[in-house]
Amino acid sequence: MVLIKVGVAVALVAAAVRVPATSQREPLCVVRGRVEFARSVPAAEHRPSAVEPGGAVEPDVLNRRRAVVYFEAAPRGAFEDRESARVSLDQRRETFVPHVLAITAGTTVDFPNHDRTYHNVFSLSRAKRFDLGRYAAGASKSVRFDRPGIVRVFCDIHSHMNASILVFGHRFFAVTDDQGRYEIDRVPPGTYLLSAWFEGAVREQRPVAVMADTRAIELDFTVR
Amino acid sequence: MHIRSFTTAARPLLRHVARTVMFLAVALGSTRAGAQDWPDRPLTVADGRVTVGGDVTLTAGTDDPGYFNFTDYGRSALRLVRFDAVTSLRINERVSCLAELRAEGDSREGHWTAGAYAAYVRVKPWTARGFEVQAGRIPTAFGGFTRRSYGSANLLIGYPLAYQYLTSLRADAVPRTADDLVEMRGRGWYVHYPVGAEYWDHGVPATTVFRYDTGVLAKIGFAAARTEIAASLTAGTLSNPGLGDGNGAPQLAVRVAARPWPGVQVGVSGASGAFVEGSVRDVLPDHAAGRQYRQHALGADAEVSHGYWLVRTELVSADWRLPALGTPLLASPLRATSWLAEGRYKLAPGLYAAGRYDRMFFSRIPSTGGSISWDASLWRVEAGGGYSVRRNVMLKASYQYNRRDGGMVPVAHLAAAQLALWF
Repeated sequence: MVLIKVGVAVALVAAAVRVPATSQREPLCVVRGRVEFARSVPAAEHRPSAVEPGGAVEPDVLNRRRAVVYFEAAPRGAFEDRESARVSLDQRRETFVPHVLAITAGTTVDFPNHDRTYHNVFSLSRAKRFDLGRYAAGASKSVRFDRPGIVRVFCDIHSHMNASILVFGHRFFAVTDDQGRYEIDRVPPGTYLLSAWFEGAVREQRPVAVMADTRAIELDFTVR
Repeated sequence: MHIRSFTTAARPLLRHVARTVMFLAVALGSTRAGAQDWPDRPLTVADGRVTVGGDVTLTAGTDDPGYFNFTDYGRSALRLVRFDAVTSLRINERVSCLAELRAEGDSREGHWTAGAYAAYVRVKPWTARGFEVQAGRIPTAFGGFTRRSYGSANLLIGYPLAYQYLTSLRADAVPRTADDLVEMRGRGWYVHYPVGAEYWDHGVPATTVFRYDTGVLAKIGFAAARTEIAASLTAGTLSNPGLGDGNGAPQLAVRVAARPWPGVQVGVSGASGAFVEGSVRDVLPDHAAGRQYRQHALGADAEVSHGYWLVRTELVSADWRLPALGTPLLASPLRATSWLAEGRYKLAPGLYAAGRYDRMFFSRIPSTGGSISWDASLWRVEAGGGYSVRRNVMLKASYQYNRRDGGMVPVAHLAAAQLALWF
C-alpha cells in the first residue's frame, strides 16, 4: 500500500515538475526542518510466548525515533554523483543501531556483532534478499546495496530485533538527529515533493519550491 | 514387503499430496493478497502494557493408518490446524500476566477444541535480577523441544517421538498382567485395559507438548555463567499434564541450561511425579492401592549452530511404574528411551533444508510368550524444508518414513505441507 502510494507520488511529481539543470555557478539551497511526533514512538517488544516470555527489551526510544526526509524526485543530474560508501549497522544489546539507515545505492553496509551471543542478520525485502548466517561477537559481515528501495532487516534468532535501510538512487535525503532535525543541502532550484518516512510508511508529504535566489527553506513535518 | 507397501500407498499418497498442494496454494494465495496489511510484530496497546502475538499453523498431509503422528485418537500432527493468540499484560515492572488461547483441530477430521493453553501470573521480585516465578497453567521445566513446539519454530512438520508418539500406557487404566500390556503393543492410539476406566482411549506420550500443566515454575538465570535453572511443581506429569490433580501427588521437574560458548547450548532435565490416577488406585486390591505409581524422566539436549548450519540432539528416557496385579507380573518399571538428531541448512535467503532422525525403544518384560519389549519400538526419518514468503509467513513441506516392529501398520511413508504464520 505504502509502496503504491510512493510510486504514484513519484510518477505524479516526475510528470509535473520541471527541474532545471544544475550548474556549478547557480547558488544552491539548504532545505531543513524538524520532524515532530504527535504520538508516542512504539518501543521494541518481545513477541509474547508462554515458553519464553523474555525479559524487557532495553529502551531505545531515541534510536527508534528516527525519521527519513527525502525528495521523491531528485534534480536532474543527481544520479551522476554517486559514490561508493561504507557504513555500519551495529548489533548491540540485541538491538540494531541505528534503527534506521539511509544510504545511496552502491553503499556497502557492515553488520558487526558487538553482543556476546550469536546473531543472524537477514532480509527478505524485494530490494535486497540476504542472509548472513549466524556469527559471533567481534565478527562482522557486509552487504552491498545496489538497488533503491526499502530493506527491512531482522535477526533470525531474536525476533524483536529489526531495522530499516532506505536505499536511494540520489543523495537528497536525511535521517533526523536526536532532536528530530534534518538538513538536505546543495538543493538546486526547482519544485519538489518532500516526504517524511517513519517506521515503514510515508507519514507526510509537502511540496517545496526552490527559487534561484533561495538560500534556505524551513519545512517541518508531523508524524501522527 | 516394504516396497509393496509403498506401492500400495503410492496412489493415495499422491492424491493427498495433490490435495495438500491445492490447500496450501489457496492459503498462500490469500497470504499474498493480504500480505501488505498483515502485522509482522506483536501488537501493542495501552502504552505498551498489553502485547498481543499470534501463531497460526495450517497443515495438510497424507493418511496415517499406523497412527504414527497422532496426538490423540482423532488428530494427527500432520493435519494439525492451530490458532494461537498470546496476550501479555504488564501490570507493573514486577508483575505481568500471560494467557495463550488456542483453537486446534484436524484439517480432515475436525475434532476441534479451544481453551486456555497457558494462563499464568509472572512475578519478578527483583527487576535487575534474572529470577522469576510463574504460577498457573504453565509449561513444564522439562526438555529442550518444549520451547520449539510452535509451527514457526519446529524445523519440520512432524514432532519428535518423545513429545508426541502415543505409547500404550494410560494414566486412568492399567493392565492386570504383562500379557495385557503386550496385547496393546504398537497401538497406543486406542488402548483398553481391564483395570480402571472401562472405555477405549489413546495412550500417553513420554512427555507431551500438546498440553500444559498446572502449578508453579521458578526460573533463575546467571548471566555471568550463561546458565539458567528452572524448576516446576505441577499437578500432572510429563505424560499426563492437566488442570487438575488426579492422584494427590505433584510432579517436580528441573532443567539446567547453559550456553558455554556462543552458538552452543546444552541442557539437562529431570522429572518425577505420580502417574497413575486416583480413580485407578481406588479399584486396586489393598496390597497395591496404598502406594503411588510414578513416572520418572531424564533428558539431555544440545544445540550447535554456526553460519548456515544448525544441529540439535536430544535424549529422553522415561519410566513408569505400574501396579503388579497378576502373573506374569509387571514387576519392573517400564522404560521408554528416545533419541533424536536434527539439522538445518540455509540454502538461500528464506529457504532451508532440514532433516531429523528419531528413534524410540522400550524395555523388555517377561510375558507368557517370552521376553518382549512392552511397546513396539520404532524409528522415523523426516526430511523437508521451509521457504519464508515473508519474515513471518513460512511454507514447509516434509516427507516421513516410519518403521515399527509391531502394530497393524509397521511401515508408513507420509508427506505433509504446512503454512505457518506468526506475529
